[in-house]
Formats: sequence, C-alpha cells, structure tokens
Amino acid sequence: MAIPPSESSSSVLRLTFLAVMVITLFVALFARLWFLQVMAGDRYVELADSNRLRTVITEAPRGEILTSDGEALVRNRPALAISADRQALLDAAGAPVDEEAERVIERLAVLLELEVDEVLERLASQRRSPFRPVPIAVDVTPEVAFAVQERRELFPAVVSETLPVREYPHGTLAAHLIGYIGEISQQELLRPEFADYRAGDLVGRSGLEQSYEADLRGVTGQRRLVVNARGDVLDVQSDREPVQGADLVTSLDLDLQLATEQLLEDGILASREIRRDDGQLLPSTAGSAIVLDARTGAILAMTSYPTYDPREFVGGVTQEYFDLLADPENERPLVNRAISGLYPPGSVFKTASGAAWVEAGVVTPRSTVECAPAFELGGNTFRNWNRGVNEGMMDLSDALTRSCDTYFYELAFDQWLREENADEPDEVLIRVAERFGFGVTTGIDLPGEASGRVPGRQWRFDYWVANRDNYCRQADLASPGSYASELYSDLCQFGAAWRGGDAVNSSIGQGDVLSTPLQVAASYQAIANDGGLLRPHLGARIVAPDGTVLREIEPEVVGELGVSDQTLQVMQEGLERVVMTDRGTGSSAFRGFPLDEIPVAGKTGTAELRPKVPYAWFAGYAPIDDPEIVVVVNVEQGGGGSQTAAPIVRNIMAHYFGIVLAEDAEFEAGEEILD
Amino acid sequence: MDVGYRQDPDQRRAREHVQSRWMEAYEPVRHLDPVLVLTALALTVIGLVAIYSAKLVALTSQSLPPSLYVSRQLLALGIGVVVMVVVAVVDYRHVRIYAPAVYLVSVLLLGVVLSPAGTAFGGAQRWIVLGGFQLQPSELAKLAVLITVAAILHEADRRPGPGVGLGALIVTLIPTALVFLQPDFGTSIVFVWTTAVLFLLGGVQARYLAGLAIAGAVAVIAALQTEVIQAYQVSRLTAFLNAGDASAAQTAAFQTRQSLIAVGSGQFAGKGLFEGTQTSLSYVPENHTDFIFTVIAEEFGFLGSSVVLGLLLVLVWRGLRIAILAKDSFGMLVAGGIVAILTLQVFVNVGMTIGIMPVTGLPLPFISYGGTSLIVWFAMIGLLLNIHMRRF
Repeated sequence: MAIPPSESSSSVLRLTFLAVMVITLFVALFARLWFLQVMAGDRYVELADSNRLRTVITEAPRGEILTSDGEALVRNRPALAISADRQALLDAAGAPVDEEAERVIERLAVLLELEVDEVLERLASQRRSPFRPVPIAVDVTPEVAFAVQERRELFPAVVSETLPVREYPHGTLAAHLIGYIGEISQQELLRPEFADYRAGDLVGRSGLEQSYEADLRGVTGQRRLVVNARGDVLDVQSDREPVQGADLVTSLDLDLQLATEQLLEDGILASREIRRDDGQLLPSTAGSAIVLDARTGAILAMTSYPTYDPREFVGGVTQEYFDLLADPENERPLVNRAISGLYPPGSVFKTASGAAWVEAGVVTPRSTVECAPAFELGGNTFRNWNRGVNEGMMDLSDALTRSCDTYFYELAFDQWLREENADEPDEVLIRVAERFGFGVTTGIDLPGEASGRVPGRQWRFDYWVANRDNYCRQADLASPGSYASELYSDLCQFGAAWRGGDAVNSSIGQGDVLSTPLQVAASYQAIANDGGLLRPHLGARIVAPDGTVLREIEPEVVGELGVSDQTLQVMQEGLERVVMTDRGTGSSAFRGFPLDEIPVAGKTGTAELRPKVPYAWFAGYAPIDDPEIVVVVNVEQGGGGSQTAAPIVRNIMAHYFGIVLAEDAEFEAGEEILD
Repeated sequence: MDVGYRQDPDQRRAREHVQSRWMEAYEPVRHLDPVLVLTALALTVIGLVAIYSAKLVALTSQSLPPSLYVSRQLLALGIGVVVMVVVAVVDYRHVRIYAPAVYLVSVLLLGVVLSPAGTAFGGAQRWIVLGGFQLQPSELAKLAVLITVAAILHEADRRPGPGVGLGALIVTLIPTALVFLQPDFGTSIVFVWTTAVLFLLGGVQARYLAGLAIAGAVAVIAALQTEVIQAYQVSRLTAFLNAGDASAAQTAAFQTRQSLIAVGSGQFAGKGLFEGTQTSLSYVPENHTDFIFTVIAEEFGFLGSSVVLGLLLVLVWRGLRIAILAKDSFGMLVAGGIVAILTLQVFVNVGMTIGIMPVTGLPLPFISYGGTSLIVWFAMIGLLLNIHMRRF
C-alpha cells in the first residue's frame, strides 16, 4: 500500500514538527544541566558538603585554679549526665514532635525523678546548642546511666555521657575569688571577644574563672563527621583534639586562706555578742578580710562574709538557690565585699588626707595643731570622737596615733578656704588620695572591682545637677519652716557648692568618700613598702597542662605615694604608735600579742553610715622594720574599728606568724573607740 | 544461433546470482538497525552501573550483596532482548491485528492492579506480584495504547473523522483513568500525550487538536481544584517550585532539593564512579528508580549527563528516521509514537531531577531500575526494528 506523494510529504512535515519539538525539549535539558553543573556547580558542591559533614564540638577540659603550693581550689571531675537530642524530640515550638517523643520524655521524667515540664524546659533551653545533646540531668547515678544505655529502644535520641564538671575540693573556700562558670548568654555571643564561642559553651561568670577565662578555657576539639541522610555516622573526616585549658596558679596561701576565712567568720559571729555603750548588741552583718604580700602586692588571702557554695552552680544553679543568694535579707553572699563593697573609709583615710594637707602646705609633718574636742563651722559643731576631751597640741604622727578628727578638720578647713579664694582651686585631697589608691580601681585581676570616690567640687556640682529637681520637689513638699524644708530649699538653691563642711567631712574619710577594702589594703601596702603602690593580684602564673610555665604574673608598680621621706616616716611612726603604744587607738586589740618580736603598725577606722551602726575598719602591717604582710579587715556594722576589726587582724597576724593558730584563736574585742 | 539465457547455464547462473543478490538485499534480516540496538544496549549498561552505584552503600550496610538490583535488572535485560527479537521477527502489520487483544489484556491487568490482588508501595498501587517478580502493567499499557490508537488511525485510512478520533480517545482514556487511580499521574499523562502525538501525525485536523488541548487543560485544572488528585500528589507536583527553601527538609521539596544538589555538585566532570556523596549517603530518595539520573549527573558530571542524553537523542534520531522511511502509516505512527513517549519520559524524568518539571513517577527509559519498563522498552526497540526491516 503506497502512500500518495502528497500524503507522504504531509507526514514528513508532521514528523518534522515532532522532531523540532523533541529537539527543543532536549535543548532545554542541556541548557538547564549546563547552568546547574557548570555555572552553579560550586554552590551545589558546598551544599553537598554541608549535607554530609556535621561538625561536632568536644569540650576542652577547663584549666584548674591552684593555690601557690599547687593545691587545687577548683578542678574537673567526670560526671555522668543524661542528655537528649532536642531536634529529634522537640519541634520548633518546644513541644514533642510526636507521641513517641512524648512517651520518651515521660519515661525520662520518671527515670530522672523530674516533672515532665522540667524535662521539657531543660530540653528546650535556648542556651543550649542544638548541635549536641542537651544535658537534662548532670551527676546521675550509674544505675540511671545504665538504664538509658541498656534500654535504647525506650530512649531513642537519649544518651548517657560523661561531662567534665567543676569540682571544689575545699568546698566554699575562696568561693568569691574562684568565681563560677555558667553558660554563655545570647547577648555575650554577639560580642567580639566571644567570637569563637558557641551557644551552650561555659564561660567564667565571676572571679578568677572570669578574669582568666582565655587561659583556662583551652581549645575545643572539633570532629567532622560524615553522615548519611538518616544521620548515621559513617566516617570521621578530620579531627582536632581538644586542648586542655592552662592551669592558673594563684598567690593564695591555702593555710592562710583557711585561717582568714575562719577568723573573720569567728570574729564577726563573736562580735555579735558585744553590747555597745548604748546597750545594743553589735549587728556585725557582714565583712571582709584581705592579706597582701607587702613586698609584691600578691594576695595571700582574701575573703568576704557571708559566702556562697560554688558547688551549687555545677550543672546550672537552681532558681531557688539563686533567689536565696539574691535576697537582700541574706546580705548578698555573691558579692565579694573585699573588692566590690563600698564604704566610707573613715579614719583609715587619715593617712591620705594628712599627706594632702602637708602637700598643700597648710601644715608640715612636725608642726602641731590643737586636738580640740570640737570644731565649729558656720553654726555646725564637728566633734572629735573623744568627746569633750582636749588632747592638746599634735603633729601628724600624734594625730594618726590618736586618730584625732579635729586636727584634720582644722587643716581641711584651712585648705578649703585657700581653694575657695583661688581662681582655679587645686583640690589637693583628690590628687593625693588618688596617689594613695583612692577613687580609682587598683587593677586587681578580679572582675567587678569598684572604684570608690573622693568627692570634690566637680563631683558636687554634677551630683547637684542630677538631683536638683528632687531637692526642689522635696522642699515644696515639706511643711514650711521645718528642718526638712530648710535643708531641701538650701540644697535646691545652693546644693552645687562644695562647702567647708564637705571638706571637713572628707578629711576624715566621711561624708561622700567611698572606698573598697582592697583600696585601703593597697594604700597601706604602699605605706609599708615605703611609697610604691603595687597592683594587687591573685594570679601568679599560667601553667600549661604539661607543666611548662606559659606566663608569670609579675608584681607591677602602678604608682608612687609621692610624699617626702619625712612625711612617710612621720606617717609610719604614727601608725606604729597606734598599735605599739598604749595611747594608740589600736593597742587594746593587740594586748598579749608579742609586739616586741613582731612589731605591728596599723590604723583603726570607724565609718559612720547613720542610722546604721558604724562600720569597723582596721588596716595594719607587720613586722614594722621589714613588712611581710598587710592585713585589712572591715566589718559592716561592727562598731569601732578598735573593737571588732583590729582583733580580727590581730588573730590573722598571730596565725601568719605562728603565734596562735586559727584553730586555737579566740576573738577578744578591743576597746570601743568610735574614731 | 539464438540461444536464450535460460539455455545457457553460465548466463543463467549469472543472472540467477544477480537476482538472488537483489532479492537478498530485500530480506528483512538484512535491514536491521545496529545503531538503534547498540545504543539501547549502551544505555542499559550505563543504567546497570548507575543502579549499582546508587545501591552500593545502602545494600552493603545492610549486609546484602551490592549486585542485588543489578542482577535482577540483568535478568530483565535478557528477557527484554528475547522480547525484542520476537517482536522484530513477526511482521508488524500482524501486530495491528493483535492490537485489540494486547489492549484488552493490558486493561484487564490494570484492573487487577487496582483489585486486592495488586501490590501497593509508597502510597501507590502499581504492581502485580507474579512468582517473585513484580509486574507493572501500566508499562505494558503504554505499548498497548500506542499500537491500538495507531491501528485505529491507520484503519481510518489517513482521513480520520470525528468518529475515529472519539473512538481513539475512549481507547486512551480507559487505561488513563485506571492508571490515574493507582495513582500514577505520570503514566496517565504518557497515555494522553501518546494519543495526542498520534493524532498530530495521523492527520487529525489542527482545530480538533486545539480543541483537545483545551479540553485536556480544563481537565487537569478541574482535577487539581476538585481534589481528585491526592494531596500528596499535588505537593509533589508543586514542590519543585520552592526547592530552594532549605527549611522544607523532609517535605516534598526535600527530594527535589537533594536532587538539585546531587546534579549541581557533579559539576563539569563529575565526582567519579562511587564517589557521589549525595548518591552513596542516600540523600536523594529513589535514586535507583525515578531519580537515577542524579547518580549519573553527580558521578559523571555534565559530560556523563550529556553522553546519556546524547545516546537518547540517537534513539530519537533513529526512531524519526524509521518513521520517515516507514512503508505504511501504521509503521510511521508507531515509530513516531515511540519517539514521542521516549521524549516525554526523558524530559519529565530528567526535568524533575533538575527542577524544571514536577516530581512524577516516570522512569528514565533503559536507565531506571524496573524490569517491566526495561522489557517494554526493548519491545519498542523490537517494533522499530520490525518497521525498519519491512520498509520496502
């Protein structure tokens, strides 16, 4: 059956049409393949790699923190933990993905003796990295870990693993100094210094854990796993072993730290039995103690009372414990009062102010000023602590020994007058106090150090500007003619003025002067050390896990007192007599201390913070001829410095010099001198 | 002396020799198309390698012999070659007579598939299990629809009126509906496409073709709107549109996305045999059947992909050539129809792996794992050979 020519050509035409269509479709395929494979191939290679490669981070064991003789204050211990894969169990909203996941979570709650909600909350915690199992319970018993391992079918996506956790062999010892670690926050992750951190990483949260974070942390290990579509690990492609963090050897003396903590606590507790002259018991709510190496500025012991238990922070602190610590009723145990507590320094500031008046030229070290019972200024009476007694003419040395307030009032007022009459007042006290370490941070290697304050005209003005509206409002609210009305109207109108009374108050470390116990310690260390102000430090050296010393932390001179030799000698003499002579305000506390063998110098201080009971201060150093240690104790609402603080310093020194060890020591209150 | 050549033995021998040479030249067996057969075999061998690579890691990890799928496919190849020879030997014009029978058997089998005797897998009921072998009747039905519609158009003597067209349409729509219910959207499209191309080649007037195209489009939209297509199919069909969205992992778009990564990461020269990570780590689902092209594209790159598409183009070229040279309209229609089915399946299958077509379960001819498909494709090669051999 032949096809007629016309039909034949027609079918060829139709087949040609089909051929064109076929070719078009094939060209489309070739074009798309060329685009995907040749033009965009690189991008798809990356996608293929990110598909099959999973990066798994292995924590580096954190470095230890050791005492000067190598005793661990904090180290790592392996803890059994039960962790679960969040992505396998929870959806994006934090709810179980399916019924099976729900059952797994319920079983987990039963096994770990937790509420289901608690398990969900821990699992969903956004602080945890989604790329590794989220620890649900740390420090579980081996039986619990075994249950999870053996019954894999009941606990899919749940693993038992061993995590390194912080261990504190000495419990609460030096808790404020060591600090604690916690998971890095979302905000911190955004900061440049945490660029190589990931969500869920632990980071030093306070104390040395924070300030030596870079040394202690180490380098996290990294493994790149080849996984298939189901997530099974088929191969380990590259492996970077975790590098253990370096150890921090501190200057802390374990024995002295133990003794200092015990003696401070014993002293505070014992002082609460003391009845004041007005018949009330001393509250002695809190306190701190510092022992510095007088030659290097190294901290041998430092403690703050009350303290907290860093063990509660292992594996995440409970809200209950954290609330306990944050409650003001409990005196805020997390605060390291030695560096963060701000108090008026009271009479321990008289060294700085005495040096200032000499430098100002209103007095020479040996010229005398009358130690009158009171100093009158513009209708206000500024009394000496020794009420009603005229102690006669005194030079700087005597004024320190007797802690004579009126000596300093008189000179402060003279200087204030000069400054008022000058075109550009040279505020000597601020200048000199700063050289003595007041009003500026010492630079200790601990986070959270307060800088304190030595007020002057600028500060007063700024303060007035900030508070003027409040003063004026209070003046309007007060009933006309009342004391409050007068006070606030005065402040409202003239509060910007730095008055004679302000200068007088500042001269004895009262009024608006604020300092930390550490500043006082650094200041007295400079006096003991004949003028060089050193940076106090806890870190001694950084040691690699293999024992090589990576870095020595050397003593660092950060300033000079900048006073003449004579001034320094007169001050030192005055401080010696505080303890060594019966006239001295601190002598009562050192009764029975072998001062002939170990001569001690020091200064009492009693800071008024009305309506509270005064804060007790004592700053001392020993032995006088070649000072080894500087000891500073502050007791909040502990009454007179001579009464509460000085006896604690005495006991710490007695322990240090091996006279009476801490365990045998008794707290014996000194005479109540409210200087 | 007038001696006829019949009397002269020499002359007679010479003449008979020439005559027999001439007759021999028209012997069908002398008009095989070796290029066609060799190309089909080459594609099948490439397919075997790709199947082996696709399943190597998955099978080894389950402690199964890595050649499990390959040996089954080899068996299908053997059967396919036999079927090809048988189909080539019987004059294709007889096929026209057997067409109704083949058609009825196919429709019957499609009915069996949907009955409880059929086997479901992955949400679709497509197979009949016969003595350890899975038979996929929809593959056979492709051939049945092709030869039946071609026969109807041929009988109309190349002037098909509306009555003939309607008959052909009904013949097409019955298996289309049955396959659609499995559900196998891809194969039902193949049936409609086959008939449409046969109408074009068979001389159906342009206005009828346009009418049919509009009716088809309306039907597809209606099917989508009235939820006749199951939800999973709709999502599969539209997933390729948002394949770039990484959050869509484990959804329908996951397949397309992983497939694109496999193809793209093959780059120009490919990662090398058994080196494809998307392939060996099972990121691309169904990469021994519907997504087999990703294995070739990932491991052999643009070069390898081009070779496979090139070989398929060779089949298209030989098929079109056979259609043009065909002795009668039936031969032309069948050859043209085979080219059309081949092109559609290649475009839909490869297009789906490279994100320009929806995900439908159409195998890549000769390459995808699947015995019925391979046997039916060798049967089609047999038909092409048949038409080519008997073109005089």
